[in-house]
Amino acid sequence: MLLNPIRPAALRSTLSVLALVLAAGVAVAQDRIAIKAGRIITQAGPEILNGVIVIENGRISAIGADVKVPWDVPVLDASKMTAMPGFVEAHSFRGMDRPNENVDVAPFLSVRDSIDPIAFYFEECLRYGITTINVQQGNQCVIGGQGLIVKPFGLTVEEMLVRPDAGLKLSATPKFGFSSATQAQSLRNAFGELRRHLEQLVADAKDGNDRARREALFQGRDLEGEKGKGKAMGGTTWKVDGLELVPRGEVDGKMEPLLDLVEGRVNAYIYCGRAMDVRTALEVARDNGFLARTTLIVDGSCWKAAAQIAEAGVPVVLGAPLTVIERDPITGKETETFAPTEFQKKGVRFAFSSSNSTTESLWFQAATAVANGFTREAALDAVTKNAAEFLGLGKRLGSLEVGKDGNVALFSGDPLSITATVQYVVIEGKQVYDRSKDIRVKSLMEGKIPAGTTPMGGDADAGHVHDDGCGTIGDDEHDAKKDDKDKKDEKKPADKKDEKKEEKKDDKTGDEKKGSGN
Amino acid sequence: MHPQATHWATHRALCWTVLAAAFGGPVSASTDGGKTSASPAGSVTLIKAAKVILRPGKIEEHTSVLVQDGKIIAIGANLTAPEGAREIEGEVVCAGFIDAWSSFGVDADALRDERVSAASLTTDAWDPYVDERFRLDVLRGGVTSMRVGLAPNAKVGGVGAVVRLHPRISDRRAIVLADACIALGVGITRSSRGLDPFDRLADVDRALGAVGDGWSYLQDKVEYKHELEAWQKTVADKEKELEDGAKKAKKDREKEKGDAEKAGKEFKEKAYKEDKRPKPPRFDDDKEVLARAANGELPVVVEVHRAVELRSFLDGAARYDRTRWILAGASESLPFAKQLADHGITVLVSPTPMGQMRTEEMRDADPSLAGRLSEAGVKVLIGSGMERPLGSRDLALVAQIAIGNGLPREKAFEALTLGAARAFDVADRIGSVEVGKDADLLVLDGEPLLAATRVRYVLSAGDLVITPEN
Repeated sequence: MLLNPIRPAALRSTLSVLALVLAAGVAVAQDRIAIKAGRIITQAGPEILNGVIVIENGRISAIGADVKVPWDVPVLDASKMTAMPGFVEAHSFRGMDRPNENVDVAPFLSVRDSIDPIAFYFEECLRYGITTINVQQGNQCVIGGQGLIVKPFGLTVEEMLVRPDAGLKLSATPKFGFSSATQAQSLRNAFGELRRHLEQLVADAKDGNDRARREALFQGRDLEGEKGKGKAMGGTTWKVDGLELVPRGEVDGKMEPLLDLVEGRVNAYIYCGRAMDVRTALEVARDNGFLARTTLIVDGSCWKAAAQIAEAGVPVVLGAPLTVIERDPITGKETETFAPTEFQKKGVRFAFSSSNSTTESLWFQAATAVANGFTREAALDAVTKNAAEFLGLGKRLGSLEVGKDGNVALFSGDPLSITATVQYVVIEGKQVYDRSKDIRVKSLMEGKIPAGTTPMGGDADAGHVHDDGCGTIGDDEHDAKKDDKDKKDEKKPADKKDEKKEEKKDDKTGDEKKGSGN
Repeated sequence: MHPQATHWATHRALCWTVLAAAFGGPVSASTDGGKTSASPAGSVTLIKAAKVILRPGKIEEHTSVLVQDGKIIAIGANLTAPEGAREIEGEVVCAGFIDAWSSFGVDADALRDERVSAASLTTDAWDPYVDERFRLDVLRGGVTSMRVGLAPNAKVGGVGAVVRLHPRISDRRAIVLADACIALGVGITRSSRGLDPFDRLADVDRALGAVGDGWSYLQDKVEYKHELEAWQKTVADKEKELEDGAKKAKKDREKEKGDAEKAGKEFKEKAYKEDKRPKPPRFDDDKEVLARAANGELPVVVEVHRAVELRSFLDGAARYDRTRWILAGASESLPFAKQLADHGITVLVSPTPMGQMRTEEMRDADPSLAGRLSEAGVKVLIGSGMERPLGSRDLALVAQIAIGNGLPREKAFEALTLGAARAFDVADRIGSVEVGKDADLLVLDGEPLLAATRVRYVLSAGDLVITPEN
């Protein structure tokens, strides 16, 4: 466990992130920033053309076409670009040393201990305009542990933190080789055990108090009025009466996170890999009073249970692929179902997650939804507003409005176009990403390795792209001038983008555990 | 113990209310049970038949059955269809068949899972989203519900359930009873791993031991209850005594304190003693279920085949007179027929066609077993066995093998309907044609369980799911 088998890769990314951070730090480090954007997709009303977003102390203080920029506020000129609220990743188990997939019932584990701030994943999030990530333990557990909501920027977990109590990860689907019978059994038993533990504590406390009273009577003393230091149990379904007699510190720390869940203090994210597991998930949530705070992390095939999910009123987070292919058992004919459509039909709210895959990032998921008949707004909601809402951050994230967090991604073109790239990312008013200074992109696209830095990924042939001598895609304003149509005509930049992706795939194999959950 | 237990309890109560209302009042009984039906409120079907088999042995000629909201609400000769009702005509109407031994819809992983314990629930592993075509196939065979179980190879196979087949019901409503039985296995040599005779006999001890554990757990609980009551009484008495003497105790204390001060000694409180509160037996979810089984609340289905194990098992089982045993398979049970009949032990047979034996043990199975056992007065049930999930489709065929080899057709019919429903405690819901019961009905063009008879219509929870057209 302690030995990190991928040390060299981690070291490499350390260097690159450090370089990235330095580059970004130089650009803007003030408390205030004004972003001039050619087009602003607010996700809260009509788009704004040639508008300004002013961010003060991390929050948006003004937004609009006729906002005047105070003279002393530094301006990020993106007047040829499109501004979007930063994408919100509603569920991910990347960015960790490794997610918990081994200890079946581990409500006490927290991703805080395994998040790796310099993981390549967080760097990639910036390149794809993701500004908030709900990092949760893996899918292969019964109760995986506690998650955190972080931003992909900062050198310590504390710095990255958006919200500390992101809730608990549970799983209704058994890991390979195990069955749903025993999975559901352990899931229920975990809560049964909590209940019996609390009942025992209360019984012991009552017993102690009663005995103390009798002892005082016997000895002829007055009983000193010692009151319970605890708190009565909250929650909606089951309660252990008399918990106020027990100081909360006496509750077994290993089970306490489950008590938080039952008392409705934290969210639950329950993984359902098959439609048949939805029932187990909903039942456990309902029986233990956290249905209202539950989000299902579903595989596309769960669309068959959409009616049950709608009835329970819980939202879902859909991973890629969004299209489910089923084979007819008799004819062998394949039918395709676009899962989000089925969920929408039944009135289930949904968000997309990138299934921890870089090549199926959130913009791509949203674009796929548009290609399958969704409106642009609905598709973008699924990667911004809805996701923010499910994380309990609807008031802070998901749209560009006065008072919300200043998380903005600036695209060279339309965010749903394959040829557009993220040029700048601003998180809480800090400009944390600038593509023109992205060393990795530069070395991949141009073969240029800035002086004083290590070659990206350390491989000697990182510069082979250099040979065809093309310009970069993202060399900001120049390219942004061209509209998408122009770009499609130009074949070379598109080709290059593919190559870039190839390169990245090679690069990332080190520090991400691909397929470790699905 | 089961979160849904209370739910089903209330549900059963509801059914009885409906039943009572139906008996007491006229045809238009209350239909509160509408929740169990997938049909839109007010969906009504009237079935006119030349013959209705109300339950095994009780036949009504030229009568009609009125179905509303998933329930049978009236049976009578002169029923007229309310406006908008669907009308069906047929020769024979009877209750839908119940496959007493099936694995249809159970997650394949759960059939192999070796971690299954007594408290594992089959309903957790039952996939209600099985391809509709499979469900229709089984329904076409006249099977409307089945007793499903987990891990047939396990020594202790968990809690079995009775589930209903319906192409569109995919939620809790498809579960007729979540805790219908508990399953044990003795000396099963499936997956070509032969057990030696000693292992097989050890299996007998294991199975009986499991029930024995449940029994002692139950006793411990009862004992604890008594101990606790006794302790509470003692303490209450003591408390009263102390409260009565509180004034005196206070005075004494003051006095002693004063004396101690005078004598220049340290004052010490009197030591108080009382009996400790008795400790409850340690909670064990498996034993909770086994206790219910030992106590006869849940039937225990034991798959056992060889005469050696059967003898040893029957000797041991005699100790548990409350337990309701159902022997499954029981290939070599004929020599014990009298013993089985005397002890009221039911036998669940699966007269599988030649070449499709599930286990080595069943190779010697005699197709006349059901007939001979029945002749000896043993209660017989028939199931398709668990090996092939789609086996339930051929339940009628399996029954016909038994009929062809000596089991009277009426007995076979009973085994497939009310007999199975009674054995698994669902006779208040399914298994016969009665007012207030769930409308799981077959409309046939002839006598049931004859090879030439065809199933024309099938109603599942009041919905017409099979018609001659589909």
